[in-house]
Amino acid sequence: MGERTFPELLPGTLYMLILRTLRAGPLHGYAIAKRVKEASQEGLVIEDGSLYPALNRMLVKGWLDAEWGISENHRKARFYRLTPEGRKQLDHEAESFDRLVRAIQLVMRTA
Amino acid sequence: MRLLKETLRRLNYLGRRSRFDDDLDTEVAFHIETRADELESTGLSRTHARAQARREFGSPARVAEETRSAWQFRWLEDLAADLRYAARSFRRNPAFAATAIACLALGIGANTTIFSIATEVLFSQPSVRDAGSLVHIRLAGSSHVPMEAYRFVRDANLFAGFAGQNENMEVNWRRGDGADRLFAIRVTGNFFGVTGIPLAMGRAIQPGDSDVAVVNYGFWQSRLAADSNVIGRALFLDGHPFTVVGVLPRDHRTLAGFGFTPDLYLPVSKDTERVAFFARLPEGMTRQIAAARLQSVSQQLDRIHPNEGYAQQVEVSAVAGLGRLESSEVQAVAAFFAMLMVVVGLVLLMACANVASLLLARASSRSHELAIRLSIGASRGRIVRQLFADSLLLSVAGTAAGLALNVALTRVLSGIRLPVPIPVQFLIEPDWRLLSYAIAVALASSLAAGLIPAIKGTRAGISAALKHGEHQVSRSRWTASNILVAGQLAVSIVLLCAAFLFLRNLVAASTMNPGFDVDHTIWAYMRLAPEAYPNREKTRPLIDAAVERLGTLPGVEAAAIARVVPLNDAMHFQIQVSTDLAARPVIVRFNLNYVGVDYFKTMQIPIVTGRGFTPADRMGAPQVAILNQNMARQLFGKQDPVGHTIRFPTGKGSNASSGKPIRIAGVARNSKYFTLGEENVAALYQPYAQWDGSIVNLHFLIRATGSPQPLIPAVNAALNRLDPTAAIETKTMQQGLAFTLVPSRVGAAILGAMGVLGLALASIGLYGVLLYSVSRRIREIGLRMALGATPAEILRMVLRQSTSLAATGIGIGLALSIFAVRPLAAFLTPEVRTNDVANFVVVGAVLAVVALIATVAPALRAVRVDPVVALREE
Repeated sequence: MGERTFPELLPGTLYMLILRTLRAGPLHGYAIAKRVKEASQEGLVIEDGSLYPALNRMLVKGWLDAEWGISENHRKARFYRLTPEGRKQLDHEAESFDRLVRAIQLVMRTA
Repeated sequence: MRLLKETLRRLNYLGRRSRFDDDLDTEVAFHIETRADELESTGLSRTHARAQARREFGSPARVAEETRSAWQFRWLEDLAADLRYAARSFRRNPAFAATAIACLALGIGANTTIFSIATEVLFSQPSVRDAGSLVHIRLAGSSHVPMEAYRFVRDANLFAGFAGQNENMEVNWRRGDGADRLFAIRVTGNFFGVTGIPLAMGRAIQPGDSDVAVVNYGFWQSRLAADSNVIGRALFLDGHPFTVVGVLPRDHRTLAGFGFTPDLYLPVSKDTERVAFFARLPEGMTRQIAAARLQSVSQQLDRIHPNEGYAQQVEVSAVAGLGRLESSEVQAVAAFFAMLMVVVGLVLLMACANVASLLLARASSRSHELAIRLSIGASRGRIVRQLFADSLLLSVAGTAAGLALNVALTRVLSGIRLPVPIPVQFLIEPDWRLLSYAIAVALASSLAAGLIPAIKGTRAGISAALKHGEHQVSRSRWTASNILVAGQLAVSIVLLCAAFLFLRNLVAASTMNPGFDVDHTIWAYMRLAPEAYPNREKTRPLIDAAVERLGTLPGVEAAAIARVVPLNDAMHFQIQVSTDLAARPVIVRFNLNYVGVDYFKTMQIPIVTGRGFTPADRMGAPQVAILNQNMARQLFGKQDPVGHTIRFPTGKGSNASSGKPIRIAGVARNSKYFTLGEENVAALYQPYAQWDGSIVNLHFLIRATGSPQPLIPAVNAALNRLDPTAAIETKTMQQGLAFTLVPSRVGAAILGAMGVLGLALASIGLYGVLLYSVSRRIREIGLRMALGATPAEILRMVLRQSTSLAATGIGIGLALSIFAVRPLAAFLTPEVRTNDVANFVVVGAVLAVVALIATVAPALRAVRVDPVVALREE
C-alpha cells in the first residue's frame, strides 16, 4: 500500500461523522467507514484501527445501540443505530462545528 | 445521571467480558471479509484480496485492546492488579504482613471501640418513630411538671402529639415472702402512640389503661424466665395486680438515653405525679416556633397557677443527635470522649508509624526492583500507586481484624452491668456509623502508613540504586525510619503520662477518706408501698420500730435512719442564712441531711464541739441543727456556734430571718457529701424526727461491731418482718459506694490499656528499626570485626543508635507531655497534680527501660555476626 494521501480527520470530528452517517438508519462498521469515504469523495477516511474503539466509546456514552443482523453479503454483522441521545449529540456537534467553520472562513477571507 | 448510566453499562460489560471478546472477533472478521469481497470484485484473487484486507486493517489485537479499554474502569483494574501483586508479595513474607496487620488491628480495634462506645453513649437514637420531629420540653426550667400542667398544655393542641413520662419511679414487686424494688417509667396513656416506640410482643399502653405494664426485654428474660405466655400474666406492684400487656424489643433505648434501662413502663397512676414533656412537632414547625407558642400557653397557665412561674424558662430541645449535647452534664461526658478519641487517634498513628517503618524497610530492600521498573519506563505515579496498594491492602486487612476485635470487645462491654445505683445497660452493636468510620479509618491509615514509604521508595535515583548503593558503609543518621521511631517514642511518652495520671487518680480515689466509716457500715434501703404509707403519721412508727430492732440485733453497735446516704445522693441548697450574731444574712451553699439520733455514732463522724442529736429532739421540741466545720466557719467565723441560732427564709423572696430560729446543738467533723473529689463543702444536719416531710424511700445505716457482710441476712429479716410488702435492698457500704469509683476505674482502665498498647507499639517499632539497621550493616559489622573491632565496640555501636533514638523520643515526648496532660486536670481529683515532676520521671524511666529491652535482641544479633560469613555473602 502506498503513502496515505488523505487529509487527517479534524480532531473531534470522528464521532460527528459516525453519528451523521447513522442518521439515515442502522449500518455495520464497515458500511460506516465506506459511507464516510464515499460521501467525502475519498476526502476523508476513518482508519480501521480507530473505528471500532470509537464505536465502542459511543456505545458506552449511550449515543448508539448495537445489535446483530445479517449483512447484504449474507454474513453475520453488527449493526449500529442512533439512540435519541445520539441524535441530540449529533445536532449539538453539527451546530458547533458549523459555527467553527464559519468563524474560520470569516478569518480566512477577511483578516 | 448520565454518569450513572455509563457506569451501569460498564458494569454490564464486566459481567460478560468473554462474550464481548468473541463478538469483537466476529465483527473484525466480518470487516476484513467484506473488504476482501470488495477487493475480489475489483479483480484480485481471493487469497490476495484477503491479504490486502488484513494489511489495511492493521493489528486486530491492538484494535481489540483499544476497543476493550473503552469499556473498562482503567483505575479499578489497575488497582486490582496492584492489590493482587501486593497480596502475592505478602504471602511470600508472612511474618512481615502479620506484624503489620497485627499493629493495625490493635490500633484500629482500640480506635473503633472507643468510637462505638462514644456514639452509643452520646448519639444513640431513642427507639422512637422519626426522632427528628420529637422534642423534649421543659417549663419553669424544671425537668418534671405536675399532671395538671401537662393536661393544660396537651389540651392547647399545639402539637401533633403531646405525651409525658416520669423515668425516676420505683415500685415494689411482691414475690413470695418479700418484695423487690423495680425501676419503672410512668407514662401518660398516649405516650406510646405519640413516640411510636415499637414492641416485640403484645400491645403498648393505651389511653384509658390503668393497671397494665409493658416490660423490658432484659426484665422479661432474667426475671420472668423469658416466659412465652407472659402476656396477660399478673405482677403485684405496690399492692396492686398489674397485667403484662407487652414486651419491648431487645434493642429498646429509652428517651432518657445513656443506657438507662428500667424494668417496666406503667401508666401514670396519681394526679400528684410529675412528668417530663415530649411533643411531636407537626410538619413545618421548628423548635423556635414551638418554643414561642409554648411561651404563650404557659403564660395562660401562670394565670391559673401564679406560684409556679411556668413561663419563666421554656425550653424545647431535641431528643437525639447533636441537640442533646447542649446540656452541660452531657458536655462533660462528651469532653471525656473527645479526650479518649485523641488518645486512640495517637495509638492508631503509632500503629501506622510501625507499618510505615516496616514498609520503608521493605521498600529499601526492593529499591533495586523499583529502580529497574522506573528505568524501563514505569511512571513515578504508577510506582507510588503500587506502593500505596501495599499499605491499602494491609490497612484493609488490619481494619477487618480490628473490627473483629471491636465486635468482641463491645459484646463484652455490653454485658457489663455497671455498679451504679440506677439501671444502666449499654447496647453497643456494629452499625452503619461504625462501618463508615472504619472505612474512613482504613483509608486514612493506608495514607498515613503508605505516604512516606511511597515518596522515599521512588525518590532514590535510578543509577544509585542500580549501583548496589545499599551495600555502602552507612553512618547512622536521621533517616525517615529513625524519625518515625523517635516520633513514636515521643507519642508513647504522652500516652503513658496520661495513663499514669489516671492510675494515680484511681489510687487516690480508692484510698481517699470520705470522712465517715465505710468498712463496718451496712446500708439497708427499704421502699414502702406508697398506698399504705401516705403520710408521716404512718411512716414514723415504722421507722422508730425499724431503728429499734436494727440497733438491738446481735453484732450491731448502732443504727440510724438518714434522708440521703452520702456519696449516693445529696440535697443541695443555696440560700440566705441569718445568724443571731451577724447583722446581715449570708448566702451559703450547703448539703442538707435529715438524720436519726445515732447517725454520727453509726457513721463514726466525730462531734467536735457540742452534742449530737438525742431522742428529745423530736417534733414539737425546739428545732436544732448540727453544722459541719466548714459551715460553722462560714457562718460564725472563729466563734463557737453551739447555743447560737440560725434562720432560713420561709419561702421564695421572703426575708432571710422570717423562719423559726434553729439552735446549733453541735459541730461535726467535715466529711464528703456528694463526690469524693469535692473540697470544703458546707453541710447541715437536722433531726429526722423534726422533719415534717414523708417519703416511702427509707435509708437505714447500721454499724457492725465486726465484719458487716454476715449481718446482712439478719438485717433483711428484721426489716421484712416489719412489712413484707416493702422492697428491701441491703449491702455493705463498701459495695454500696463502689459506683463512686466507677469514673476513676473506667478512666484508669481505658487510659492504662492505651498507655500499655502505645508502649508496646513503640517498643516494637524501636526493635524493628534497630534489627533492620543491624541486618543492613552486617557487611559493615563483619568488616569492622575483621579489622579488629571487639564485641564491646560493636555493642556500643548498636547501643549508640538505640540510646540516641530513645533519648530524642523521650526528650520530645516529655516536653510535649507537660502541655498535653494539662487539660486532663478536668477529669482528675484535685490531689493528682498534672504538673507533678514525679509523673514525668517515672514515665521517662519506664520508657528508657523498655527501650533497653527492645535493644537486646538486635544487639545480640550484631555481636554474633561472623565476619567470615558476613564478608563472603554475595
